[in-house]
Amino acid sequence: MALVAADCPADIATLRSTEATAASAAQETMAPTEVRSASDLAIDIRNVSYAYEGESDEVLSHVSLTVRDGEFVLILGPSGCGKSTLLQLMNGTIPHTLKGHLEGEVSVCGKPILSTRIASFATEVGMVFQDPDAQIINTRVRDEVCFGLENLCRPAPEILERQREALDFVGLNGFGDRSIFDLSGGQKQRVSIAAVLAARPRLLVLDEPTANLDPAGMAEIFAVLERLNREAGTTIVMVEHRVDELADRVSRVLMMDRGTIVFDGTPREAFSQRRAAHSEENSTIPTSAWLPQACEFALALGDRLGIPVDASGMPLNVGEAVAFADSCVGTAVATMAPPAADLTRSSTADGPTFLRVSQLGFGYEKDRPILSDISFNLGRDEMIALCGRNGSGKTTLARLLMHINTPPHGTIWLEGKDVADLSAREISSEIGYVFQNPDHQFVTDRVWDEVAYGLKVRNYADNAIEERVGEVLDIVDLQRYRDRSPFSLSLGERRRLSVATMLVLEPHLLVLDEPTIGQDHERAQQLMGLMARLRERYRTTILMITHDVRLIAEWAARALVISGGRLLFDGSPEAMFADERLIAEAGLLTPPVYEISKALAAKHPASLLQPTLSVPELADTIGRMEGKVA
Amino acid sequence: MSRSTAFQFRSGNSFFHRLDPLTKFAWLLAISLLAFGAYIAWVQILITIAVLFTAFVLARLSPRVVFRSTWLFGLACLSFLVIQTLTLPGSHVAFHLLGHPIYVESADYALASALRIYTIILSSLVFVRTTDPRELAIALVTQMKVPYRIAYAFFIALRIIPTIEEEIKTIHAAQAVRGVVRERSVAGRIGETKRYAMPLLVGSLRKASMMVMSMEARAFGAYPQRTFVEAPQMSASGVAVCTVMLVLVISWYTALGLGYVHSFYVLAA
Repeated sequence: MALVAADCPADIATLRSTEATAASAAQETMAPTEVRSASDLAIDIRNVSYAYEGESDEVLSHVSLTVRDGEFVLILGPSGCGKSTLLQLMNGTIPHTLKGHLEGEVSVCGKPILSTRIASFATEVGMVFQDPDAQIINTRVRDEVCFGLENLCRPAPEILERQREALDFVGLNGFGDRSIFDLSGGQKQRVSIAAVLAARPRLLVLDEPTANLDPAGMAEIFAVLERLNREAGTTIVMVEHRVDELADRVSRVLMMDRGTIVFDGTPREAFSQRRAAHSEENSTIPTSAWLPQACEFALALGDRLGIPVDASGMPLNVGEAVAFADSCVGTAVATMAPPAADLTRSSTADGPTFLRVSQLGFGYEKDRPILSDISFNLGRDEMIALCGRNGSGKTTLARLLMHINTPPHGTIWLEGKDVADLSAREISSEIGYVFQNPDHQFVTDRVWDEVAYGLKVRNYADNAIEERVGEVLDIVDLQRYRDRSPFSLSLGERRRLSVATMLVLEPHLLVLDEPTIGQDHERAQQLMGLMARLRERYRTTILMITHDVRLIAEWAARALVISGGRLLFDGSPEAMFADERLIAEAGLLTPPVYEISKALAAKHPASLLQPTLSVPELADTIGRMEGKVA
Repeated sequence: MSRSTAFQFRSGNSFFHRLDPLTKFAWLLAISLLAFGAYIAWVQILITIAVLFTAFVLARLSPRVVFRSTWLFGLACLSFLVIQTLTLPGSHVAFHLLGHPIYVESADYALASALRIYTIILSSLVFVRTTDPRELAIALVTQMKVPYRIAYAFFIALRIIPTIEEEIKTIHAAQAVRGVVRERSVAGRIGETKRYAMPLLVGSLRKASMMVMSMEARAFGAYPQRTFVEAPQMSASGVAVCTVMLVLVISWYTALGLGYVHSFYVLAA
């Protein structure tokens, strides 16, 4: 294939704004770190209010914000608080692509957004979104990275040089010829970042770039961003929820609630106290999930020991938390009984096995098995996490349990019956499956009908249907919306409705497919709270497919780890997190509290301290050692 | 993780993979013209052999891929062959099957018709498996002077098909879990489509708007033209393939027009 540079004709060059030409001329002779305009304000937003076209409610209300060059800003906030909308202002997507009513002034990299075309921001602002599959346009890595500069009519040799640099920066040297479809989620997202880096932007804006990634993919992205900010001096504004990994990397934290900025300060200030925010349904929700575990631990320990923890002393990572605790721990060795077990995750299997998986192997092609030799049993009233990297075979396994994919005969037994001989409808009265996207599961136009559907197709009597649907709608708190269309509900409500449709059949097992992907932790926590109520009422076993370590640590009593299609581990989360090789193999990370407690236990071998997954438990243990907790 | 679509580009290094997209398109067009012009079996057999040779040798497709991708069409062609052979009239009986006469002319015509459909499916498979849609789009811009916005629209449409297919499969699975059973009647199928349409539409609109934002943020459409770092060009082999195909098509239709092609029935041999 020949190298062809179909350069833009001279008349096109004249169409480019003077500004853009000047900026590009400057960039051609400068390294990324040196690209700066006269002003050092990357973003200048003054008293901005915005409502989407055709809607009267403001998504942003009187927002003012300035971001200087070189800052690394983390934006936190519940769903619907306006954080994504704020990001869309930063390259003119609002108001140029997404119309609406905009008031106030916005300048990005010294250019007013109202009078500047989006294309003029292409060399200054790089936008990266949540879903790599939706934002990657091309099918080959190199084409994707070259795409922006090709649109800007840069000469071919320069484009190729820049794409090499960009891929090199994100650690994908030599990936140019790879197909996008052959990459992992983390690699795809690094391609998305390289695709905007090729234009050497001054400002990088990211909207939950790791929401769809496993912990290993997330670590790749954060490492790249940190290097970009520190070494290349790129300004970064990012919406994210993974505070444990970001707290000590960012320079500033913004918290948003109901369209306004409610906090703006350093990470230590941001995480020095527990806060509350409002959900889309306007109820108050705690934002504990936005508190790094290191801070949560410091606050809990401060409470137990009666020591006020101010912002300046707030630890942001494991090392700082260990040092903080160390300063509080004396040498006295306590002789009290070990702390009581955590009730939320205490229960394990009881009664007979109702689902047995025996030497299960599966693949679409004979020579490429997705699963091999998987065996385990499930009892009633268990809370199990199914973990593994993206693409390890977790979802395939869950789909085989449901007979969405047909399992080989004699490998999966449900209440003594071979699943391969049962229809999806027969299985679904025993096993419920909550998909990632609730919209996929809706089959009627009305909330009540939606919940009743499963009973109707199974020929339940009308009065039984009426009774059960009413009961389930109460449990998920959707009774007041019984006549509305499922699609008119908020995401959190649609999730609850999707669970309700499964609940109504009183299944023995409920499979949750990645409950934290694509939604914030509060919603996941609410969902898990609902699961706890379910177990209490129906003794339902919950199998959650997840790699969210905090979710596992907080809720699961048993963990199954799949890697490369094989079951590597079946045991307690504590034992799982204690096995470093296993954690690396499964692409997981250990929760900060585990690392903190492990480090403290190693430092104080004669004490009661031992590795734990619970922040209150660790704080209590130290409190006991200090004689402050009974 | 799911089964990949058979009618989808796969990178490779075969002779056909290396040809430029427009040459392959010309080949596909020529095969279709030849196949449509041939109503007698021996010519269709030659064309089928040539296309199979191209698939196995020039495009290095494995027999398994060819079988997996075309068996359903093959089965349809076979039933077509049987029905036409048994029902079309003829004058010379070749043999009797269960007491039913099989005519030379009807069998020949049926074989030609069945092979024609199979050949076109097979050549489309060769084209799709060996041609990167993006390269085809670029070739349309650089060689055929199609405006790049239109060419990209075409490319993105092709690019998005597997994603939509995947989404439909997920919706199907999600609804099967609800106890939805696939409908067989026409009314049922319409109801089923309605159930699929809403979630699909909501998901596709979200994806499409994300794509638009991603493209605009990288200056797509900012200027009337754009640079193409790598544009496919017609190589000497491409020129040779085009010439051979052009000569074949012109000769065949000239021969047909001048009445040089006499009917020669396979079963009469």
